[in-house]
Amino acid sequence: MATGFDVSRLEALLESAKLLQSSLELDVILKHLLRTAMGRLLARRGLIAVEKRDGVLRVELVRGANALAAGSVYSEEAARESGLERFFPIGAEDSPVGVLAVGGLAVEFKPEEGEFLQALLGVAASVISNAQAHDAARAANHLLDQRIQELRALLDLGRGLAATLDPDEVAQLVGLTLAGRWALSKYAIAAYKDGQPTVVRQKGIDLGDVAPWRERLQEMAEPRLATHVDKDLLEALRIPDGSLLIPLRTQEATLGLMVCGPRMRGMVYRDADLEFGAGLAAQAAVALENAWHFRDTLARQQLEKELELAATIQRDLFPKSLPPLEGLDIAARNRQAKQVGGDYYDVLPFSGTAPTDPHLLCVADISGKGISAALLMSIIQATLRSLLRRETSLLEISGIANELLYATTPSNKFATAFLCAIDPPTGACRFVNCGHNAAVLLRADNSVEMLDGPGLALGQFPMKLFKEVTFQFNPGDILAIYSDGVSEAQNLAEDEFGTDRLTECLRAKAAEPSAAIVQNVFDAIDAFAGDAPQFDDITLMIVKRGPC
Amino acid sequence: MANSFSVTASEQDGIAVLTLEGFLDAHTAPQFEEAIQKEINAGRKQIVIHCEKLTYISSAGLGVFMSFIEEIRDAGGDIKISGVIPKVLQVFEILGFQSLFDIVGNVPEAVARFQQG
Repeated sequence: MATGFDVSRLEALLESAKLLQSSLELDVILKHLLRTAMGRLLARRGLIAVEKRDGVLRVELVRGANALAAGSVYSEEAARESGLERFFPIGAEDSPVGVLAVGGLAVEFKPEEGEFLQALLGVAASVISNAQAHDAARAANHLLDQRIQELRALLDLGRGLAATLDPDEVAQLVGLTLAGRWALSKYAIAAYKDGQPTVVRQKGIDLGDVAPWRERLQEMAEPRLATHVDKDLLEALRIPDGSLLIPLRTQEATLGLMVCGPRMRGMVYRDADLEFGAGLAAQAAVALENAWHFRDTLARQQLEKELELAATIQRDLFPKSLPPLEGLDIAARNRQAKQVGGDYYDVLPFSGTAPTDPHLLCVADISGKGISAALLMSIIQATLRSLLRRETSLLEISGIANELLYATTPSNKFATAFLCAIDPPTGACRFVNCGHNAAVLLRADNSVEMLDGPGLALGQFPMKLFKEVTFQFNPGDILAIYSDGVSEAQNLAEDEFGTDRLTECLRAKAAEPSAAIVQNVFDAIDAFAGDAPQFDDITLMIVKRGPC
Repeated sequence: MANSFSVTASEQDGIAVLTLEGFLDAHTAPQFEEAIQKEINAGRKQIVIHCEKLTYISSAGLGVFMSFIEEIRDAGGDIKISGVIPKVLQVFEILGFQSLFDIVGNVPEAVARFQQG
């Protein structure tokens, strides 16, 4: 075929072939081919279509026929309509890799130029195939690089997440990884869990409150482009156009949302990106769950430690044993409803500590529970102890204690108390009832006196409205001082134990030691309450006076 | 502790220079983020990140660059990157960073770019 060429054509062919062989860039090759063809045939219009990997011929390059768009599917008919006249297969006629077409020739078509072109296109066919293979390999490599980078990012994030147990740090790491992976300058992460502060990390986006949208987000199972998300949600959360929304999900629940803002330079999110995003979200969700769980556990441990401390303080406040007082048999017991209760009892000396010296019998019920109750209890005890040394008037003592507690604690922190001074040798008693239950005095003759009296709880009001009442405590008498946990103990029908049942218990064991009476009352309360839970602390002090 | 990372702040001709060294990954990225935030808080908006001794960068590390670039450019400043070793540069390229950031050979070159405005 080339035998018919003159020297100049041969040289041109050689030069072109060399140039084509030296390039692997499809674009460069095709431009050179079209330029050569149009130049040699003096054509004003030209086109090259190449068979792509999908087996379809597509227009790659057009000159002077602008109706044909690069990238469109090639058809000879459309090409003819656009003024292209002569068509040359690129490569073997039965299996060409493409078509080169020219039109608008300025001079008459010379068959030898056609032959020259055929020869050139024969050379070009293999070069084009090579370039296409090279492009494909490069694209595959690029894709592979991307996937490797994605895997690295996930791996790296996993390592980073393993090192933190702080929900905010989790969001920070996830945000940075997203921003880096997709070159994002706008992104936002919000994660929520009941009982935990909402975690928010955002750059360039001012995310709206996610709380009202939790149900809707729960329905979003997979990453979704903003174009596929309802407008009201996008507007309420101020999510920019072109964003990708990725739900943060564990297997059971959605616990947040990641918003990846529009990508730079018009790049779009591909399916592979959505996959990567879902993988990253899964890691983030697990890490968040862990961090929250850790925080919960820590908080619970702290609370338990605090309660433990309060219980210790309180245990130390109760007397280890009651002082033996001449002629008196005193027993007391406290049973707390919870770990830390609010009841307190004590037997404290005034100025002297001998068994014959006057002592103060005290049962108190402190408002609230836990550490604050324990502290208030310790204040009351310290106040009583210091006052008793110098003061014998119960009116004065309750007045000063009231003032002190009123001044140092909020008015919702107060204590009711029954204070009774007793002189062991004589049985002479004085009491002040500071808003407490009436103590029960069961006389030897079986009659009952209720020791109530006007008096407000200590620490609740600034006024001193107390009354000191005296009575004689005789041999055979039983005094029961108790907290409302005794009289208000409930059964399942919500009936209260009441003072009558208490009195019955006293009577039934009147001849026995105080400790046996205490045991009897507790047994009776338990039998009465049945399966009903104990709501309040139960405190009972029994005092008996033996025959002199 | 697996891999170490450090960021050192200095100044050249009134331009902040942060020199990175070691491994910039999800674990160390917060450290880098803090360093840039510090410069921004100090009112600096022309920052050179020098990477000659940076041996590895992960997506999270690149995320730090992205996290500030808009804010800084909105304020009329920029982040320029210098001295990136080929292995790290490859990651920049894969993720398309070379078209978003001015990446130059060394610190003086970066400083000069700032001075040219």
